[in-house]
Amino acid sequence: MEASSWGKRDRKAYWFILPAALCMLFVHFIPIFWGVYISFLDLDVYTLTQWTSAPWIGLGNFIQIFSGKFAVGKKFLESVYNVIIYGVITIPVGYVIGLLVALLLNRNFVGRTFVRGLILLPYITPDSVAYNVWRFIFQARLGLVNKYLLKLGLIKEPIVWLVGKRSLWAVIIASVWKGWPFGCLILLAGLQGIPAELYEAARIDGASPWQQFKMITFPMLRPVTRTLLMMNVIWNFHAYNQFYILLGGSVGDAHVPSTFIMQEAFTNLHYGLGSAMAVVLMVIILLLITVLMQVKRKNTEHAL
Amino acid sequence: MMMPDPTQKRKPSRRIIMRVLLYLAVFLVLAVILIPYLWMVSGSFKTSLEIQSADVMRPGLEPRWIPRTFTLENYAKINKTVPIADYFKNSLIISFGTMFFSIVISITAAYALSRFNFRGKGAITLGVASTQLFPGISFVIPYFILFTLINRYLGVQLRNTYPGMILTYTTFAIPFSILMLRNFLDSVPREIDEQAQIDGCSRLGALFRVIIPLSGPGIVAIGIYSFIMAWNEVLFASVLTGRATKTVAIGIMEYITQQQARWSQMMAACIVISIPVLLLFTFMQRYIVEGIVSGATKG
Repeated sequence: MEASSWGKRDRKAYWFILPAALCMLFVHFIPIFWGVYISFLDLDVYTLTQWTSAPWIGLGNFIQIFSGKFAVGKKFLESVYNVIIYGVITIPVGYVIGLLVALLLNRNFVGRTFVRGLILLPYITPDSVAYNVWRFIFQARLGLVNKYLLKLGLIKEPIVWLVGKRSLWAVIIASVWKGWPFGCLILLAGLQGIPAELYEAARIDGASPWQQFKMITFPMLRPVTRTLLMMNVIWNFHAYNQFYILLGGSVGDAHVPSTFIMQEAFTNLHYGLGSAMAVVLMVIILLLITVLMQVKRKNTEHAL
Repeated sequence: MMMPDPTQKRKPSRRIIMRVLLYLAVFLVLAVILIPYLWMVSGSFKTSLEIQSADVMRPGLEPRWIPRTFTLENYAKINKTVPIADYFKNSLIISFGTMFFSIVISITAAYALSRFNFRGKGAITLGVASTQLFPGISFVIPYFILFTLINRYLGVQLRNTYPGMILTYTTFAIPFSILMLRNFLDSVPREIDEQAQIDGCSRLGALFRVIIPLSGPGIVAIGIYSFIMAWNEVLFASVLTGRATKTVAIGIMEYITQQQARWSQMMAACIVISIPVLLLFTFMQRYIVEGIVSGATKG
């Protein structure tokens, strides 16, 4: 920082930040820490009105989750498993599609600007619109998917997509459709940042397009890829809208942690148990972030 | 500029094939993107009878792309079964409110982070960024209980009210807005507000007279980001809104009930509620895209 009037400490700054800090304190930080406290209580709709008298049950809620003796715990762990499966498929598939389309849009063709704008359409469409349209498309009797699967002779009878185990696949397909443009946008920006001289030099050395991709494009995209994957891994555990909307609020067999916690807290009115599950989810996310940061640090050290 | 391809001199026919493949690939991408939208538009013009009687198994009744009978009835009756006009109004009030407060709060905070030197700056920046890591589910329960208790002990009802929803969404919008605007302000030369201060402006005066007029694009971008965020949010809306404040994002699901599925009306409503978002986005696409990209690439 330059030595000028800007170098001096200025307490007035706190006043400028105060409104934002108060908001975040009230909406984010107090509830997050309070949620940890609630997870140790047997708080349900009966004790909610007499908040102070909600019994402290220590690790009781966590025992319900992990002991394997309770249906709730099993279903919750299953929902964690579901969200992992969901992420393990949607993240790589979305990345590959995004990268391929980014490479495509980085070439010259008529109408390129128009197409570049258009691919953002799924990304900016409200979740509630996109997933309701997909819900329509996946309907067994009147949907597009079954219509074409029957026409192609791949199935003999209409498939019920949105009930049971199969619904996870419907959600995966719809979210890949909605999610890849974001990655594509970021990767395209990354591609445009690669100096053209690198390709020229490679071409003079007689490198094939595949070699150019392997030796130049992909390594140069590594920092962008890393950020993108990190964001996707974190966001993966935020998954709620796609499941809640596509499956019409009755998620059934394809629960992810967010939908399951919502059901436990606001349908079954077990706030304490719901909070405990939310705490478990937060711990999982924090652990993942720590691991990702470590990996990132190691990679950057290698690069140096 | 395309780089001259060494293969093109030798095999012109191969080059033509490559061009054709390129355009085929572009067409494929467009088709995958557009099919759901075309299906939505087509569905919104079908009669409810056509959709109810559609059956993939019966040759004469298969769902079709072109409506058998073209009708505007779904748009005319959009408000009959579900009070979507009320929800639309609620969404507008909440989204504009969010936009306004998010801009005001983010500008001052971003200005402080960009121009002031103070103790705890790094920690505050980290705190702002950290809010983006936690999923809504990790605080929706205590937040709901907090609203309940505030109502009980202070007599202030926040649930199912506009101020409560605006407060909630404003806070969701400000972390990203602050960071985005700070990056923007960092690119405005400091000499400009230094000069303003020499000319006798206070810090606040410099902010209002010099910085805000200069950061128009950045402010517009965070305003639109905040509007769209509030328009689309589902999780908190499903818990905190009731009949009086329900937003379109969750209200739209009411077209499908256990008893009846009004798909054609729902598709019409889908189109209508996408309009504000699409308009705002096309209007300010460049700024938002820049913001997203720089946010992701600068970390």
